Amino acid sequence: MKMIRAIVRPEKTESVAEALAQAGMPSLTKMHVFGRGRTKGIRIGDVVYDEFPKTLLLLVIEDEKLDEAISVILESAKTGTMGDGKVFVTEVEEAYTVSKGTKGL
Amino acid sequence: MKEIMTLIRRHQVPATKKAFEDAGFPALTIQSVEGRGKQGGIGGWAAEVDPELNSVMSPDFADETRFNWIPKRLLTIVVQDDQVEEVVDVIIKTNQTGHMGDGKIFVCPLKEVIRVRTGEVGREAVV
Repeated sequence: MKMIRAIVRPEKTESVAEALAQAGMPSLTKMHVFGRGRTKGIRIGDVVYDEFPKTLLLLVIEDEKLDEAISVILESAKTGTMGDGKVFVTEVEEAYTVSKGTKGL
Repeated sequence: MKEIMTLIRRHQVPATKKAFEDAGFPALTIQSVEGRGKQGGIGGWAAEVDPELNSVMSPDFADETRFNWIPKRLLTIVVQDDQVEEVVDVIIKTNQTGHMGDGKIFVCPLKEVIRVRTGEVGREAVV
């Protein structure tokens, strides 16, 4: 299994979640985060803004669904300008469902 | 080392913390998150009473209201490889009600841990 952590624009959260659900991946967790990218934030006059509000979407999926999930996220989160976000993929060794006590997603 | 991430019900946090403490894993991180599982959230007024009601009720009684984002708590705890099984057992035992929405547990590999105060790495840094 793989864990995808996608940092996206807050206003794109719903469209990404909707697109993933359409693709058969309805399960995900979101959290509000603040951060900056390699542009080090933006400067407007004397004020530097370097803590932009973003949404971190966290989802765990089977290996074979990885490519599809990434392409869905990239497509639905894209606006074409700076600050669209990043996608990180990490390994998950085991998953358990608490209500049933079973192994697996 | 392994990183165990678990999504649980909000009101189960104190009980889970207590259970971790009793089992000898006092260190953890708690995050307030919102999410949904494979049911895609819960829907209808009946879901407020019991999510399971929707499946036994006739669709005429259900309404369009849906809760797409359900508030949850994300607990992250780092343990040694041989302690994973014990922690998973503790989480399941404390949080299992048998109804959907109890949560998930993810076990992820962790390359390195460093304690900021002393610079210790690896096993010593986790306790």
